[in-house]
Amino acid sequence: MAEGEQSPRRLMVIGIIGALIGMYLARYLNLWTGTAWFSFFAGLGAICAVYYGADAVRRVASYGLGTGVPSIAMLSFGAGQVAVLLGLAVAKNYSIWFAGPVIALILAAIIGLVNGVMARRVIKMNIHIMEMSMTEIAMAASLVILGLSTVIAGSFTFNAIMSYVVASGFIIAVFIVGAMAMFHPFNACLGPDERQKRTLNLALSTGFIAMLVAGIASGAINGVQAAVPTLIIAIFGWIIYYLRFFADTKQDAAAMLSTGLIPAEEEVA
Amino acid sequence: MFSLLLWVWIILGGILIGAGVHFIPVGGAPAAMSQATGVGTGTTMLAAASGLTGLIGAGTAYYTHPGDFAYTIVMGGVSAALMISVLAFIANVMYVYGAGVPLASAKVKYDPITKWRQDLYVSRGTEGHGSPMASFISGILGAFLAGVGGALVFFALAETYKAIPGFSATFGSYPAPYYISLAAAFAIGIFFLNCVMASYNIGGTIEGFHDPKFRRIPKSIAASLVVSAVGGLFALLISVMLPGGI
Repeated sequence: MAEGEQSPRRLMVIGIIGALIGMYLARYLNLWTGTAWFSFFAGLGAICAVYYGADAVRRVASYGLGTGVPSIAMLSFGAGQVAVLLGLAVAKNYSIWFAGPVIALILAAIIGLVNGVMARRVIKMNIHIMEMSMTEIAMAASLVILGLSTVIAGSFTFNAIMSYVVASGFIIAVFIVGAMAMFHPFNACLGPDERQKRTLNLALSTGFIAMLVAGIASGAINGVQAAVPTLIIAIFGWIIYYLRFFADTKQDAAAMLSTGLIPAEEEVA
Repeated sequence: MFSLLLWVWIILGGILIGAGVHFIPVGGAPAAMSQATGVGTGTTMLAAASGLTGLIGAGTAYYTHPGDFAYTIVMGGVSAALMISVLAFIANVMYVYGAGVPLASAKVKYDPITKWRQDLYVSRGTEGHGSPMASFISGILGAFLAGVGGALVFFALAETYKAIPGFSATFGSYPAPYYISLAAAFAIGIFFLNCVMASYNIGGTIEGFHDPKFRRIPKSIAASLVVSAVGGLFALLISVMLPGGI
């Protein structure tokens, strides 16, 4: 179900590699220049992860979860949040801070897999891609949380994320806005005429909105240096991809699907 | 740093959250069009509303009386129950005076609490409307259980993180220390893990304890046990990984 032009494997590579490159660029360039001008790279990385996660949500939710599309994203963000902070704490403990995002990704995959196995084997949901999807969405969620947190804190060490994102309370904004960026595209586009390109263009536009929120929060931590480039890129990105989504919608609206004849009056009752 | 008792509390809290969801009248999208019994939204939104209110109650109680176990969990339960009763009541006012439908359940012939006849008041082609007395009381019970569960998770995490060096600091003039923020963030995460698992178990909608789907509760308890054991272990391991604090 839910076929598309872009294969899941290709999107997985774009999401994971893109998110990691974005975060490392932001962290290294900020460290090297001693400023916070490059935080926006992490936001672009988070958008790659949103792109990948939205497609994973799209694949699993097209089977019909019974509880609405948001549920799976909220669950995965709950898992991703725990995995991110544990991953960064492990990296801090062994003084390998550069490996923090990768450790967080692996831990998110483990906790996602456990959730998927429980949903499919214990609760007996009849969706055969459940384990894989939960793992993928939890991995994407951890990258989105980490990416948006890096935009806010300007770095992804445990101390920076803990002080500037968790203690300040921005973690809840990151949690909700990241989850919305991931579940909204399929929630808005689902139906018999759902098309991957349109859903993913909407995912990019919601991803830029998430980056915008992170950019506003980064202004409170790192000031103008972090906020201005992030906000400018987020606003332009959002306008571009929202217009593309709008064009796709107009194009797809021209198609018509037959739903059969209206039933006779006595059958309606 | 790693306390087995606190881990057991997290698991117990997760099971209570999962069990609590089975009591709450979740109507889903059909109820939003007053075509099914329950509050007209999905579990995720109901959990976010009542669960987060419960956590705010628990967090306030824990902050004003640090380490007071009974006060924290009762405040968590009462806050969540208060929120769900407001939600169900306002939704009922809208169903009755806005949509013009009587409150009725289609799953039982007589309301188990008031013994009032139900099936006569269910419109043809629908599965009930609003939250009748049994669903309302069931929702309050369920939210209390889930709120107590969320507060247990919060309490266990806050007690663990309080011992980490440096976590009693505060962020600028913001009054709550680090350990409360971290415990609240993770309690929300573990709350969502368990309540979504439980809502998959009920297939998205349930009327309350009188609904036949309520008998599926053992599966949810098994799933919550494993999910919150893994999530709780990960959350507690942070204290082991930070021997020197931040």
